[in-house]
Amino acid sequence: MSTTQDFLFAIIVMGMAAFACRAGGFLMMRFVPVTPRLEAALSAIPLAVMIGIMAPVLANGHPPELVALVVIAAVMKVTRSDVVAALTGVAVVALGRALGL
Amino acid sequence: MNMQSPPPDITFTRAGIVAGIIAGQGLAAGVLVYGMVFGVLASEAQLTALEAFLMSGFVYSGTAQMATLQGWAHSKLLLPAIATILIMNARYILYGASLRPWMGTLPPHMSYSTLFFLGDGNWALSMQRRAGGEADAGFVLGSGLVMFVPWLIGTLAGNVLGSAIPDPARFGLDFMLVAFSMALAVSVWRGRGDLRPAFAALLVALLVNRLYPSGWTIVAAGLVGALVAYLSFDDEKRA
Repeated sequence: MSTTQDFLFAIIVMGMAAFACRAGGFLMMRFVPVTPRLEAALSAIPLAVMIGIMAPVLANGHPPELVALVVIAAVMKVTRSDVVAALTGVAVVALGRALGL
Repeated sequence: MNMQSPPPDITFTRAGIVAGIIAGQGLAAGVLVYGMVFGVLASEAQLTALEAFLMSGFVYSGTAQMATLQGWAHSKLLLPAIATILIMNARYILYGASLRPWMGTLPPHMSYSTLFFLGDGNWALSMQRRAGGEADAGFVLGSGLVMFVPWLIGTLAGNVLGSAIPDPARFGLDFMLVAFSMALAVSVWRGRGDLRPAFAALLVALLVNRLYPSGWTIVAAGLVGALVAYLSFDDEKRA
């Protein structure tokens, strides 16, 4: 059963690597004074990351996904519910794919 | 520009955890199915249900787990696996940094155990709530847990059910995180001041996606957005 032991050791080390990423940025910022300018930079990260998550979909340009993004933005504006907006978008994509678009 | 208002009292309460659990429901469904996909891949790579479960529990990084599994099945080399995890999870460094102003004053056992459960979806959701004035960091833990648990359950279910699991793409579930990103982006948009960082992030993301489609797209977008916001901070004040 040495394979299993090797594997257990491996996932513990991999888990430590994953946690280092999760905790690393937070820990690092402990030693950096958060000036208003830096805080502005940090608070710009979420929107930029969300755009980064969407970018491959925009670049690929499949119609169901692109239409869904517009629908999501509209539903979000109206309902102000991220769950409703996102699930509507997922439904649009599923429907578009079912229709072979 | 509004002046730096004193931050509202940061709390970490059970009510916040529950609020996070409720808010994360929508994302949890997608995570469950992706856990199943990983469970199937793990059984194909000859992992036992227990091994797959432990890997999902310790490593908890969807795409990175799938990638290391492929390498592991071939070579059993640890260093490439670690490098894969570090590279594919580099975006979490940004996520953690952005949480410092919110969670920095919490006792370490609270902040670091919350960070263990950090994922894309719950981080994005939490930052949106933070921008809306949320002070209870329990929200971050609750929304993290509500995605971690389905990931574990999905891993086991996929391992047991094998290839009988549904294809996530058929239900558009591969689009779930993108869909939430769009909804949250609309919601965190504050106005003209966001235009420059957002546009820069979009350009860089499209460029990186074209040259080297990978997890680096997200890292590059986040870094450039932060950099542009940092550099244009003074201009914003003068305007």
